[in-house]
Amino acid sequence: MGEVLQFRSSASLEKLTGTKAYTLAELLLMISTCTESSIFYHTFSAFLKMREVRLPYNSDFASWVYGSLNERALAEQMMAVDFFEYNTVESLRERLIGIIDGYRSFKPSAFEKKADEPFYLHDVQRFVYLTDKFAYDLKSFRELLPTISLYSLYYHFIESRLETKFQCDDFSIWIEESLAIPELAKRIRGIDIHVYTLEGLRERMIRLIDEYLLVRDNSAEKKRVKRKMRDQE
Amino acid sequence: MSEPSLFDYRDVVGPDIIEELMILASHAGDRSIKMVNSTAVGGGVAEMLRRIVPLLSELGVQVEWEVIQGDEPFFEITKAFHNALQGNSRVFSEGELETYLRYNDMNEQEMAFDQDLIVIHDPQPAAMIRHHEHRKNRWVWRCHIDLSHPNEQLWRFMAPMIERYDAAIFTSALFSPSLKIPQYRFYPAIDPLDDKNKDLKETYIDEVFRRYKIPRDKPIVTQISRYDPWKDPVGVVKAFKLARKYVDCRLLLVGDRAADDPESDTILAKVEEEAGDHPDVHILLFSPSIATEINAFQRGSDIVLQKSLREGFALTVSEALWKRRPVIGGAVGGIPVQIIDGHTGLLAHTVEGAGLAIRSLLNQPDFAGQLGENGRCRVKDEFLITKNLKRYLLLLLALDKPQGGTVFLNA
Repeated sequence: MGEVLQFRSSASLEKLTGTKAYTLAELLLMISTCTESSIFYHTFSAFLKMREVRLPYNSDFASWVYGSLNERALAEQMMAVDFFEYNTVESLRERLIGIIDGYRSFKPSAFEKKADEPFYLHDVQRFVYLTDKFAYDLKSFRELLPTISLYSLYYHFIESRLETKFQCDDFSIWIEESLAIPELAKRIRGIDIHVYTLEGLRERMIRLIDEYLLVRDNSAEKKRVKRKMRDQE
Repeated sequence: MSEPSLFDYRDVVGPDIIEELMILASHAGDRSIKMVNSTAVGGGVAEMLRRIVPLLSELGVQVEWEVIQGDEPFFEITKAFHNALQGNSRVFSEGELETYLRYNDMNEQEMAFDQDLIVIHDPQPAAMIRHHEHRKNRWVWRCHIDLSHPNEQLWRFMAPMIERYDAAIFTSALFSPSLKIPQYRFYPAIDPLDDKNKDLKETYIDEVFRRYKIPRDKPIVTQISRYDPWKDPVGVVKAFKLARKYVDCRLLLVGDRAADDPESDTILAKVEEEAGDHPDVHILLFSPSIATEINAFQRGSDIVLQKSLREGFALTVSEALWKRRPVIGGAVGGIPVQIIDGHTGLLAHTVEGAGLAIRSLLNQPDFAGQLGENGRCRVKDEFLITKNLKRYLLLLLALDKPQGGTVFLNA
């Protein structure tokens, strides 16, 4: 038997920094100089904050560029960044800086605009903790999945990437390494988090596991029937 | 009836949320908090503390709540402070500032401050920090008011005191001033189990509407707010009249006179004048303390409006969203934090916009229903008392790590 999975969860205490940006130049400076935890809060945490918004939504920065500066092309580029190609906040910061800086040559006038509503930079202090839920195998994992909090789901599927420095969630790592089910791990890794709410993500994972268990159980049943028939012969 | 216990919240927010609160509380160990404010009853802060304190205690935190003492001259000065810190222009005399400090000194002498975390609410008791320069515990100032444009003279007096705290807590980035100490953000929160928000039987809702002679024969659009120019009740009637050209509906305005606002009667007269003798406009004068009736009015409405022109946080929006009502709100103050336009409600900037939004929602009940569902989710995530319990637990845990970063609690 592989390693037992003890579910973790996380919680955040939001901080106000007093830093504001009214223009793209100010936003660029803000993104270049703010703490890693601020970048984290305004990007990765957006999955948690806005789960009821059924849109590809992954960045407070992009949302402000869209809503307050009306620079839709830039917002689209920022929104389309696949965070999961970035397993460090620094690399994501560089990418965002590159996109905004690159937009300057594409549309210099965008840098002259001033928003009515500024972007307020926040920071966050994160707390990660173990829960009292344990999965020993795929069946117990499947049973627990509907009961874990969204914070726990968010931690394992999104935040944990920053700690493991892998470009995937740690559920699929556990399923592959401890349960030795690489085919299911691969399907879970293939879930596009950018188009799901966290609740939708939970449902998708449950469906993938159910499909896998159904196929596995059917094939086990077939083998059992075959064996029984052989024995009777 | 006894106050709800933590267990009672399981059915409302889900057992997972309560379980995680208990885990966080176990990490907070036997740390203690003292809350200090200026009133034991009445007002949002006392109402919130009345619920937060026993629930934190149930989670195992040693929590004490004390109220400062003062007489009329002191509270008159602090009321003027309150208004001035929110931007009211007024000059304070040396004598008034000295009275404020003297009452703080007297209260400080009467209280003990042995807890790990001292949370001082609002400006009234804020000066007690002056006697705790060399302290072992942490002091945090919880400011519930909008400090974004404070009266300059008063802020010059208050800011050095506030900067003696270890941190400050504000309701939103919109309301926080520039300070040299760390600032945390705690949204205000509603209690889903109090009379204002608890589930009601449909028969009771029917009875309340019958009692106040509001027929439920067509969709009802409601605004529940004081008759105050900043809540724009006249604009609400105008928006309703624009929408009424296209959709058959009723308007229900429920509000009280603002006791401290002489303009209130004038506004009410203007609202009545604007409404004329329209048979579908119902104007009620109502005390906000009749919480269950307010709850019934919100639940029995097809749309809830909060068409404010200037606002604090406007928790009435969260109250309506919690009841899965589609809400149209003015894009001011804390309303856009609660209403993500087009997702958890609709924002309106003008009378015409509000009228169009009413038509849009009444003609698209599925869309309106989805906004209501999303709104409830948003409130569940951010604006319930259970979230504030979590924030206080995290604040206790953050005391050990004021420098920030990620804290692994089991390490």
